[in-house]
Amino acid sequence: MEDRIEQLVDYIMKWCLWQFNSRAWDRKDQNEGVLTKTMQLLCEEPVALETPADRCYWVDAMLLARNFKNTYAWLATMDKKDIKLLMQGLKDRIDYLTITGSLNRELTDPIY
Amino acid sequence: MPCEIKQKERVGVINPIFTCQPCGAQYASIGIKDCIAIVHGGQGCVMFVRLLFAQHFKDNFDIASSSVHEDAAVFGAVHRVEEAVDVLLMRYPHVKVIPVITTCSTEVIGDDIDGVVRKLNKGLLKEKYAGREVHLIPIHTPSFKGSMVSGYDVAVKDFVSAFAKKDQPNGKINLITGWANPGDVTALKHLLMEMSVDATVLFEIESFDSPLMPDGNAVSHGSTTVEDLAGTANALGTIALNRYEGGLAAKYLESKFNVPAIIGPAPIGIRNTDTFLWNLKTMTGKPIPESLVRERGIAIDALTDLTHMFFADKRVAIYGNADLAIGLAEFCLDLEMKPVLLLLGDDNPAYQNDPRIKGLKGKVDFDMQIIWNADLWELESRINNKEIELDLILGHSKGRFTSIDNKIPMLRVGFPVYDRAGYYRHPVVGYAGAIWLAEEMANVLFTDMEYKKNKEWLLNVW
Amino acid sequence: MPYHTFKCSECIPERTKHAVIKGPGEDLTSCLPLGYLNTIPGSISERGCAYCGAKHVIGTPMKDVIHLSHGPIGCTYDTWQTKRYISDNDNFQIKYTFATDMREKHIVFGAEKLLKQNIIEAFKAFPKIKRMTIYQTCASALIGDDIDAVAQAVMEAMPDVDIFVCNSPGFAGPSQSGGHHKINIAWINQKVGTFEPKITSDHVINYVGEYNIQGDQEVMADYFQRMGIQLLSTFTGNGSYDDLRGMHMAHLNVLECARSAEYICNELRKRYGIPRLDIDGFGFKPLSESLLKVGLFFGLEKEAQAIIDEETARWKPELDWYARRLKGVKVCLWPGGSKLWHWAHALHEEMGVEIVSVYTKFGHQGDMEKGIARCEEGALAIDDPNELEGIEAMKTLKPDIIFTGVRPGEVAKKLRVQYLNAHAYHNGPYKGFEGWVRFARDIYNAVYSPIHQLSGVDISKDEIPTDTGFLTQALLSNVNIGQDETSPSEERPYTGDYDCVSKLRGKTYPKLERQPIGMG
Repeated sequence: MEDRIEQLVDYIMKWCLWQFNSRAWDRKDQNEGVLTKTMQLLCEEPVALETPADRCYWVDAMLLARNFKNTYAWLATMDKKDIKLLMQGLKDRIDYLTITGSLNRELTDPIY
Repeated sequence: MPCEIKQKERVGVINPIFTCQPCGAQYASIGIKDCIAIVHGGQGCVMFVRLLFAQHFKDNFDIASSSVHEDAAVFGAVHRVEEAVDVLLMRYPHVKVIPVITTCSTEVIGDDIDGVVRKLNKGLLKEKYAGREVHLIPIHTPSFKGSMVSGYDVAVKDFVSAFAKKDQPNGKINLITGWANPGDVTALKHLLMEMSVDATVLFEIESFDSPLMPDGNAVSHGSTTVEDLAGTANALGTIALNRYEGGLAAKYLESKFNVPAIIGPAPIGIRNTDTFLWNLKTMTGKPIPESLVRERGIAIDALTDLTHMFFADKRVAIYGNADLAIGLAEFCLDLEMKPVLLLLGDDNPAYQNDPRIKGLKGKVDFDMQIIWNADLWELESRINNKEIELDLILGHSKGRFTSIDNKIPMLRVGFPVYDRAGYYRHPVVGYAGAIWLAEEMANVLFTDMEYKKNKEWLLNVW
Repeated sequence: MPYHTFKCSECIPERTKHAVIKGPGEDLTSCLPLGYLNTIPGSISERGCAYCGAKHVIGTPMKDVIHLSHGPIGCTYDTWQTKRYISDNDNFQIKYTFATDMREKHIVFGAEKLLKQNIIEAFKAFPKIKRMTIYQTCASALIGDDIDAVAQAVMEAMPDVDIFVCNSPGFAGPSQSGGHHKINIAWINQKVGTFEPKITSDHVINYVGEYNIQGDQEVMADYFQRMGIQLLSTFTGNGSYDDLRGMHMAHLNVLECARSAEYICNELRKRYGIPRLDIDGFGFKPLSESLLKVGLFFGLEKEAQAIIDEETARWKPELDWYARRLKGVKVCLWPGGSKLWHWAHALHEEMGVEIVSVYTKFGHQGDMEKGIARCEEGALAIDDPNELEGIEAMKTLKPDIIFTGVRPGEVAKKLRVQYLNAHAYHNGPYKGFEGWVRFARDIYNAVYSPIHQLSGVDISKDEIPTDTGFLTQALLSNVNIGQDETSPSEERPYTGDYDCVSKLRGKTYPKLERQPIGMG
């Protein structure tokens, strides 16, 4: 599982930008929004698209889910329960790398 | 009145002809060997000047900044100079000369750079750099006074006064070139060599045109030494070619060390080059040799092919540094052209009393305007309003769109020239410069004839 | 922490935390340099000032505006004709620059009257231009001129003009980035919401952090408009002042250079609820996915896919031709702020080059996070590099080419390292599918330059081959392609035009219709 999470982390780090908003509170929302929706797409669950923010998370999630499926064949062998665990692990890891473990001193600046 | 002199009527500047004083001081500083200046101000005051030099010379020149940030701007920033001097000396072991060049911000906040230089001389240099030759030179060049031209003038004088030291006469002359290109210095040194005159050239900048070497070790930097500058006090005399770019230093040497000074004219065109040689002869007693008679003849021969056929009555607008622009106007007149508009870019009222300007005023027999404190809008608005018609523009690259949009041929001359290749390599001074200027003016006109199909067939037989 | 200490900077220990090497197993929680701190005086850093960050990077690309700097002439002069932010209105913003020409007497007595005269003169000189931005400089900031008050008074007296005031003196922050921030915040505070733009579509975006360098914006605008999107404004390349006053009316902010313009996107998200979508306009895959995301947002996925298919079919064979020849080329990716992360991975993946180092002149730690994330192991990352460190890095890493600015490019030249202009490009645009091929072509032509090959020959020591009258890029590059490996027949070098932008101007697009947003 950990190895698979690291593969997904590597993909996100190399190809995505949504995880790198400039402030911690935005990163939290971004990680939550995009990765939750990615999980929902991978698990074929309904995705809320009520607000513009939802749609924006969703478009990043759409691409991410698509790319995960195309890049990592092992994903197709996992059941939904495991995918949820995997994605929770991924979110925890991304939160750590970009927020809680981040060395970026500007994340806590109260203004933009 | 055929020739009128006036100041720009607007208070503002639309498309400036010059940049500000610190640029001129920086230009002087890169002419000195083992010298890296510290510009005391915001980082842009250095970064963009270095970019400007790189645009013009297609090479890099080292200049440092004291990097004044917000807190320093409020509470004073002399400590940034102290730190900058130390950092520079630690990391550049060859550096001997560090001018500290002020800008508008540090002049407004009133930083005492003279005081900090004294403090460093007594403290840091004695303690940490004992035994190392280091010269700190405060240079005041607030951006709200003068222009890059006066900044250059001030800096040359400050360098000379910092080092000039009375000793035995050295039999040399001091040649202060003004804001020159490497090609100009080569041409001037050639004339000196033909005259067998030994000179201290301020500044030795031929090495601005530096090679790309297989070992990757070349840099672009001037090669005037501290000893060269010290010796200026012991010369036979000083010739400052440009009144406004080096004239101050010449006057300083004259008043302080009794070194006789001849100031101007820039040897642009045949007549001014003749004057330069005459001045050399007068100052040194050396005759003008046959070789220069011949060289002059080659130039005259080249010009004769062009003047009454192509140049006569062509209307020219000229802008740029005053000494250059005036010299070009005089040369154009000799070439039978009509310099109808002359734009001098800073607010120096002394231009009105310049004998060369007075000469134009008194003797020109066609409508000519000389605008001081001018900007490039003075040129463009006259073209737009059809107040003038032009056949040719002489000036630096910052005016390129006036030429392009109005389809008026333009020869790039002056500083900076970044939209033509290699112009810094060619002289505008001396007989060689006269040839280059005239032939390039002709070629620019020829290209324009062909591009516009304006009697382009004329050039079949010529 | 994998800090890297340069030999030349051992004597300034505070530099140590500004460079890292991304070692095996390193991630962002252990490998990130400090950033956006005050510069060390005398270090010969490559940074500019906050005035230029505001005026030259963000302000001036606005095309229908008189750009007036309140100060001595130098600030204006120096930031004039040194960048390539073109526009479709004949480059007014490149051609004309305005300075109040503050003099000593104004320093003593104040320059507000001078400023007012200047404003009136400038509008008089260009009667068709009704918009102005006034930039504060060090001098006007320090003497305390109230620029806002003067601008307000003129606007009251001249109701048809509108003036924006940007108070960002050169000393305001460690680098030009301070100016990016100040002008972002000033624009949203002063101008957004003061103009109601005409909305002609349900698919309305602002394209933010895009400066139309060599036509980048026009290339991207073409894609957006082919998709059926209304490009309400661009912040700021080729952008119009009044369009940008109407930014609050867009449905989506599409953000390119987050370094210089994320502030306004963040504020638009906070104040107006407009989402921020970060994209990459560089590289086939990142660009394709960026277009798809924008398409998906509006239910225009098919339209986006059609453009991607068409452009990829047209340009991929040309990209591949270069990529085959660029494999393994060592690159120092040394731009100002955003391009280290825009380019690092895309260049490696799509052209096969190795990014051996990234640096940022004015970026923050956030840019380094993105850049380091996108680098391979072993890359050297430098914050606020100075000249000696750059030279030391080039001597150690021996790159084939560096992507940086004009002047550091000259430093590289002397060390026999080829250079491409990362800020203004060599033969751009580099955005878009064709642009990415143009970038590849520029790299190829630089790396396999016959003259570059000659520059390493020392005629006093080396043997000189007397039977080689010439070499070509192809002859030099083919050496590196395996002998039995031949290009598939559809691969070819670049076939586009010298100017690939002008023809986009005046192009017509499908008429936009307002309809409910589709739910993909």
